[in-house]
Amino acid sequence: MDRTLSGLGRWTGLFLLLIGALLLDLSAGAVRIPLREVLHILFTSSAGDETWLFIVEKIRIPKACTAVLAGCGLSIGGLQMQTLFRNPLAEPGVLGITAGASLGVAAVMLAGGSMATLYAIKELGGGGSWLVTGAACLGAAGVMLFVLMLSRRVRDNVTMLIIGLMISSITIAVTSIWQYFSNPEEVKEYLLWTFGSLGGVSGGQLLILAVTIVAGLVVAFLSSKMLDALLLGENYARSMGLTVERARLIIICSTSLLVGSITAFCGPIGFLGIAVPHLARGAFNTANHRILIPACCVIGSILLLLCDSIAQWPGSQTVLPINIVTSLVGAPMVIFLLLRTRKLKPF
Amino acid sequence: MSRNPRGFLCISLFIIAVGCGEPKKPGQAIVSGGTAVVQGQPVVKYAHGFRIDHRAGYREVSILNRAAGRSDTLRYLLVDPGQTPPTDRPGIPVIHTPVKTMVVLASSHIGLAEFAGAADRITGLGNFQYVSSPVVREGIRSGKVKQVGIDGSTNNELVIAMHPGVMITSTNPDAAFGQYKTISDAGIPVVPDAEWLETTPLGRAEWVKVIGALIDREDVVGKKFDSVERAYQALAAIGSSAKTKPSVIIAMPWKGTWYTPAGESYMARMLRDAGASYSWSDTKGIGSLALNVEAVIPVALKADYWLNVGYVDSRKDIQAKDPRFAAFRAFRTDSIYNFNKRVNELGSNDYWESGLVNPHLILADLIRILHPGVLPADTLYYYKQLK
Repeated sequence: MDRTLSGLGRWTGLFLLLIGALLLDLSAGAVRIPLREVLHILFTSSAGDETWLFIVEKIRIPKACTAVLAGCGLSIGGLQMQTLFRNPLAEPGVLGITAGASLGVAAVMLAGGSMATLYAIKELGGGGSWLVTGAACLGAAGVMLFVLMLSRRVRDNVTMLIIGLMISSITIAVTSIWQYFSNPEEVKEYLLWTFGSLGGVSGGQLLILAVTIVAGLVVAFLSSKMLDALLLGENYARSMGLTVERARLIIICSTSLLVGSITAFCGPIGFLGIAVPHLARGAFNTANHRILIPACCVIGSILLLLCDSIAQWPGSQTVLPINIVTSLVGAPMVIFLLLRTRKLKPF
Repeated sequence: MSRNPRGFLCISLFIIAVGCGEPKKPGQAIVSGGTAVVQGQPVVKYAHGFRIDHRAGYREVSILNRAAGRSDTLRYLLVDPGQTPPTDRPGIPVIHTPVKTMVVLASSHIGLAEFAGAADRITGLGNFQYVSSPVVREGIRSGKVKQVGIDGSTNNELVIAMHPGVMITSTNPDAAFGQYKTISDAGIPVVPDAEWLETTPLGRAEWVKVIGALIDREDVVGKKFDSVERAYQALAAIGSSAKTKPSVIIAMPWKGTWYTPAGESYMARMLRDAGASYSWSDTKGIGSLALNVEAVIPVALKADYWLNVGYVDSRKDIQAKDPRFAAFRAFRTDSIYNFNKRVNELGSNDYWESGLVNPHLILADLIRILHPGVLPADTLYYYKQLK
């Protein structure tokens, strides 16, 4: 990142990168569609080839939208957790929300083997993806409520962090018990879910995801002043007139909303939440959340779009799970950037 | 060595007959292209994964694993009452036949046992949930059949206490047999059923011959298999010579990935025999291909039939899974079929149980679906149309 660039220059650069990543993602896939055709479909919603139209409109555009939403949400979730706990290693799943969502999904996929559950599911008429999504939301919300309940009794954030990790641990253990006693086919389906995927969200689901993410982002923006104050330490924040417990409540709510919904729709996507806040701080050299929050959104979106393009593995008939790509490609990138900026202290 | 297999065979049999067989020899049966031809023995025609060799005073079952250029073999010596186990084959598990009781871990094993007329010998099951066989269901009801836990987490103590004549697992023979060491150390022979690694439907069904050997009913089972084989081949001749080759897609994508049978899988073979045009019939591999959903879409949008859609029961269910599926031609023309006609009230699907040994019935269903009018009108057996 060029240090001489003005703030405006950096923003322009990032937005150009975002558009580039978006176009790359829209033109990458198993079926080769020329970029010009993609743009034509994008602007006129018509194409000479019906198949191309279907692929771009029904598969690639929803997937790219999901990537942008998930990129924003996970990065902001990570930023909030890192600031709240003043810990560079904190990530969106640190409070057990991701684990909670996984527990919900495991309950459906693995306990689905028990006939009573299967019948209940059929009676509800919820077949399919809504069921998994709903279960994940319930799981995430359950853990979140539990964390919130505890957070009212806990005064300092480090204790909260440890409690969050413990809850996460318990939730994972319960999920593991389920896995252990399930059929291999069911475990396989569950494992596939844990690999994460951006391709399963479309139509009504995408709308719900978008509404939830936007709500979470608005809360995050509104809380940027609180986040700035928290960064200086809880006592200092108190002296500035901030009710730390209330700020914590708001931040946890916002993160849960973001991470819970993304995990529900896309599965647990790792790495972005922890890495993007560091990249944003490095790029803008600031700790001001009113800059960091939009920066995280843009950088998170770019990264996830790029990872998704790589996952499509140009020319290949197969697709790599997104969770593998984010870590495999993203982690070396972050190491490289951190070494280059020679600023290993992220706060 | 004689180039004439028959000649060599006769010599071999003669050598055995006079009691001078060479024990170190891997087998007296001649293997050519996966076909063991031994006179007076069950001829293994289609399966690649096992062999049964008759030797002096005992039979030898070899479960082969030819995956990845390797040829590991698990051997079992089948000894009849009144015969003594050979002393020159140390370290090879001995199974005293006919096996009176057996523990089986998968639905397909129930299908094999039922076909061989040995369903009443099942005393242990991996999971009670997935049973269609009335005999086994009755056994569960009366408490004769115990639940021992599925592959990988079996209750070793329970199995050892039951001491069945044999335990049949689904574990890939490639995988170390370590997880069943406790059980085999206790003197219970553990036999893997690798029928799912076969590349043809008849090859899979032929695994009943292993059960036939275990219960000393090789002849009966062999004859029964022959009639299945004849029916299947007759149908395959009709199916593969059909004038039209309707295009099909298989299964349902999930989260952006579409798992579809690979070209060398038994499912791809079944589709070919049914006279279907399947876009991935030339691919390598015996399992499934994990395809990018985009790579399948061009085919899926235009395919005439959509088969084996999985855990859905209606067109509404399919749309609930993903509204985009409504754009497929098969969806618009009402040409979606699933193999869930024989699901019982407990949710167990007989397709996974008896379907294995009835490939001719599955093939007949497919031909009736893909080529209406070619076979005499009849109701479908395993398949049903999604409404």
